[in-house]
Amino acid sequence: MEIISLTQDKSKMNASFIIKKIDPTIANTLRRMIIEEVPTMAIEDVEIMKNNSVLYDEIIAHRLGLLPLTTDLKSYVVKSECKCEGKGCARCTLQMTLKSKNGMVYASDFKSKDPKVVPAYPKTPIVKLLKGQEIELVATAELGKGKDHIKWAPCMVWYKYKPIINITQANIKDPEAVVKVCPKGVLEVRSGKLEINQKKLMLCNLCAACADEAPNSIKLNEKDDEFVFYIESFGQLKAKEIIVTALDMLKKELSVFEEALNTMK
Amino acid sequence: MMIPVRCFSCGKPIAQHWEEYKERAENGESRKEILDSLGITRFCCRAMFLGHVDLIDTAAKFKKF
Ligand SMILES: [Zn+2]
Ligand SMILES: [Zn+2]
Repeated sequence: MEIISLTQDKSKMNASFIIKKIDPTIANTLRRMIIEEVPTMAIEDVEIMKNNSVLYDEIIAHRLGLLPLTTDLKSYVVKSECKCEGKGCARCTLQMTLKSKNGMVYASDFKSKDPKVVPAYPKTPIVKLLKGQEIELVATAELGKGKDHIKWAPCMVWYKYKPIINITQANIKDPEAVVKVCPKGVLEVRSGKLEINQKKLMLCNLCAACADEAPNSIKLNEKDDEFVFYIESFGQLKAKEIIVTALDMLKKELSVFEEALNTMK
Repeated sequence: MMIPVRCFSCGKPIAQHWEEYKERAENGESRKEILDSLGITRFCCRAMFLGHVDLIDTAAKFKKF
């Protein structure tokens, strides 16, 4: 197995990389571990004291549930695996309060007891209040997993086979026309010849527009043991943290499986 | 009514960009350019902005039952 990092942006929230010499089973295992098993914080219970805004209590609670909260994995444990046996304690839940009387209510108006767990996007509007309208609520956030509800999923993650473009130069009459037809700008003309722009090759989605333009000269293929992975964090965790946690979770599950096998005779 | 917190299709949080989008669109900037500069690349998320009508100011005047 070989891993090549393609990009990571400054915020470290997005990442892409190629994994070589694996098969779809392993690629999909990694993807599903990331979506379903990496725990994040999200609001689960909302107790509403006052709400005479236009939005109903349920709608507000739903909006709050979808807010990504920055997550500190070291100081919390998943509620169902906590010593409190699912009752909810300081190790698995966190109370946040929201109180507002005027204008637009933003996610940044939340008061959290833990400065490490706050809404990841402070500018998210929650509800707009007119004069005389008021909102007051206590929300309980808990650490949960994407397999229970998608609001706990940490990121968008997807993969594809690595694209291969084979160009036979001889039959291409008009290279510029082929360049123009590619929606992703993967091809370019260098000294009169049609070439692949290696920096953009990974953008190729095998749409085959170029192969339609030059039927006998361009062949598209995918490499079936090299995967291009993309991770786009929703804001709770950084991309690297997500992958590392997913692999830890996979290790944990495998050790549970191993223990089960050992008890078998 | 209000811009949804996340994209319906892919789940990416988008609501935090709404006020900037609205202000820039009112100043006459092209919607394509705004969305590109906000980093909203997928068509599902882009549609959330293009199709949204902010009705909260109108609806807020009426009584809730
Ligand atoms: Zn607990
Ligand atoms: Zn989307």
